[in-house]
Amino acid sequence: MLTRELAIASLDKGQVVPDRLTRIKHARYPEYAERMLALYRKGVGKTRQELHRGVHDIFRDEPECPLRRIAAFAKLLDDVSVFDRAGFGQAADLRCQVFRRAAVCHPLVLEPDRQFDHAEAEVKAQIAREMGQSWEEIDRQLFADVMEFHCLQEFTGYPNPQALLARYNVAQVQAALFDGVSLTVWAEQDFKVILRYAKLARLMHTIQRAESGYVFHFDGPASVLRQTRRYGVAMAQFLPALLACQAWRMHALVRVRGRWNASLDLSAADGLTSHLPVPEEFDSQVEEDFAHQWGTDSRSGWNLIREGEVLHAGQKVFVPDFVFRHEDGRKVLLEIVGFWTPEYLEAKLKTLRTFAGQNILVAVAAGNEKRGDGFAPDAIRFKKRLRIKDVLQRLESKP
Amino acid sequence: MDRARLSFVGGTITISALPSEAWQAVLATANPTWDSRINAWRCDAIDYMTLRRRLHAEGCIVEDTVPHWQTVTWPSVQLPRMRPEQVQAISAWEELRRGVVVMPTGTGKTEVALAIMRRQAISTLIVAPVRDLMYQWHRRIRESLGYDAGIIGDNIFRVLPVAVTTYDSACIHMDKLGANFGLIVFDECHHLPGPMRRDAARMSAAPCRLGLTATPERSDGLHADLDALIGPRVYELPLADVRGRTLANYEVIRIPVHLSQEEQAFYDRLSAQVRAFVCRRRKLEPVFSWDALCGQAANDPEARQVLRAYWKKKSIEDRAQEKLRVLEDIFRLHAGCPCLIFAGSNAMARDVSRRFLIPCLLNHCGKKERHEVLTGLAEGRYPALVANQVLDEGVDLPEVKVAVVIGGTGSIKQAKQRLGRILRRAGNAAATLYEVVCADTNEERRSRSRRGSDAYQGTRHRQLG
Repeated sequence: MLTRELAIASLDKGQVVPDRLTRIKHARYPEYAERMLALYRKGVGKTRQELHRGVHDIFRDEPECPLRRIAAFAKLLDDVSVFDRAGFGQAADLRCQVFRRAAVCHPLVLEPDRQFDHAEAEVKAQIAREMGQSWEEIDRQLFADVMEFHCLQEFTGYPNPQALLARYNVAQVQAALFDGVSLTVWAEQDFKVILRYAKLARLMHTIQRAESGYVFHFDGPASVLRQTRRYGVAMAQFLPALLACQAWRMHALVRVRGRWNASLDLSAADGLTSHLPVPEEFDSQVEEDFAHQWGTDSRSGWNLIREGEVLHAGQKVFVPDFVFRHEDGRKVLLEIVGFWTPEYLEAKLKTLRTFAGQNILVAVAAGNEKRGDGFAPDAIRFKKRLRIKDVLQRLESKP
Repeated sequence: MDRARLSFVGGTITISALPSEAWQAVLATANPTWDSRINAWRCDAIDYMTLRRRLHAEGCIVEDTVPHWQTVTWPSVQLPRMRPEQVQAISAWEELRRGVVVMPTGTGKTEVALAIMRRQAISTLIVAPVRDLMYQWHRRIRESLGYDAGIIGDNIFRVLPVAVTTYDSACIHMDKLGANFGLIVFDECHHLPGPMRRDAARMSAAPCRLGLTATPERSDGLHADLDALIGPRVYELPLADVRGRTLANYEVIRIPVHLSQEEQAFYDRLSAQVRAFVCRRRKLEPVFSWDALCGQAANDPEARQVLRAYWKKKSIEDRAQEKLRVLEDIFRLHAGCPCLIFAGSNAMARDVSRRFLIPCLLNHCGKKERHEVLTGLAEGRYPALVANQVLDEGVDLPEVKVAVVIGGTGSIKQAKQRLGRILRRAGNAAATLYEVVCADTNEERRSRSRRGSDAYQGTRHRQLG
């Protein structure tokens, strides 16, 4: 991620517009990106300062480029680089040795006289002799641990210029979100992924049903007391997960210069590319097989919808794998529990107990019951695949 | 009757099962907000004590899970005898066990805090502005109270009943640590009221709070908020009261230097470049400003070059070779006397270090090296020390009588703090502050602004050469 100092955004009618490179306006950028990647790939052994100068040089004649954008590229490249840390302690030891030796000769003067007879050049030559190195060598190593002088050891890099440019565009949106006060997401699918990553980022949620899908409102504990930017970084961390999803839009309130709020609106149609993969459609093979077997038509009046319902109680959420809706209005949820560790099963049981009031059908993989898994006796047990017949039978017996 | 339950959650206090007969009264004092996300009331952790007292006054039975602080026993106490003004400060603070103590640098603020810690004997967090100061507190706590305190910051997260941290780390982690400490000490507490940093106080439930500073005022006026965040100003010792008594007398000597011929030629060329560009632009837009230049650097390679020329100019002033020659003269003049040099940039600090082979204290120095360098100077193993802004505030350096400023920004607070560094209490020898500035450059203007500070008032100003 970028730092706040590298953020570039403009304000347009109350909207925050983060800096964004486009194919038309920034036609030369793929070439710059290629050159930057080449610079780092061939840059092993060069200092950070040299690499950053190199990045600046690539943009020397580019008319359309703020200095911050150049610095942001340098940061994104550094983020996927490994810099040599081996010599860090050594430089400090070397300084200690050199300064101690020089201390008795203080002050080192240019022109020695009767009172001060330690000439700078002579003292340095003497120290170099004592330490068995040339002074140039010592001088070069003396501050090797300073950030600008770190040497590139390895560049893990971006696969291609487009990936670097895409990362830049996302990073600028993230940087704008650093000052985020609240975040609202409208989603039609991928609820599980959205909620899981929001939880990972330690955000709190408020969940409302929308016409199609759900509205998630994310912020943090103190947000109820005042508008605070405190959770902006968490929102920025969450963003790539959202970008990987489909059929969503978001609206963030962003604090501008610590004084007023502006909006940051974004949707799946904006075409920002996440470095995270698109969420898997199904959590497991069993789920996938079951959904394919069922098909898209209704069976005995029941329609199958994947992850269609978000159950929530306070800050606990549960998204069962499937929802069955009957034409007469009945609704039953289905959760499929694979063969898993006892801890996983225990957590699953706890969740099911929290939402015991809901109409949930549970299908449990055979084998778990031998370990005394504690699922209700009316749970469907399945071996390799979950059979439609078993499920339909149980659906009919539900109220 | 229901028991109201108080918990510390993410830097706030949640109140569940609040009996209806109590909540009107509670609403009026602690001002909690209903949080539908968790179906409970919520307020800032800082309001914990007010809330607790109010509930008690209403006769509520409270299940209080908030305090995670504990009693601390100090392994070995070695505190010096307090001077009268220190004793006054301590007893003034103890009346409320909340509040700000204002004492000039070098008058023993740290000892006041250590004495208070000793007497409270409760889990304590010290919040310092920078890493160096954090480590210094760590050392002082070990020396004076015999306790090896935890460290939160500088990539270390070691939480113990007594711990030291920085403002930035405190702000980030207080939502997790806010219930761990019964006493929180804000060193150089004028740093606290920033819009985000204040979370370090707001998200802490500590009933006892101590603020220490020499310069409580902030240019943005936010120091007024210290009342709410820490407590009232309970004690104030003005600078004039102690000068010449506990502090050394001091003298400010200004030494103008000139750029070398080559430097001057380069400097002039850069100036001409900047001037020509601005003139040309002003013909098109009469109000063309610095901001506009920064803005245009985005889509104009020439503006970008001009911006670079401007920074290069500053760097020439900052790293003028003549400054190194003057420094040599000062070293000759004060041979045998420890010197502190403040540079305007890391690059200049390294230039000085390389030229004279004296230690330099920069951000990249580890804890071990800092300690070695600082004790080395105190014990006379090193003759001098060069630093950039890391020594601005509060870093203890005993008996330094000579300080040299060879660059830096024109802020008044910085000047005051830098001056404070050499006002160490020891002997009768007068302290001297040299200020080496480039003549005929912007640096001169910054120097003038520096001397506008009241810290310099009443000092003697001399000019050499």
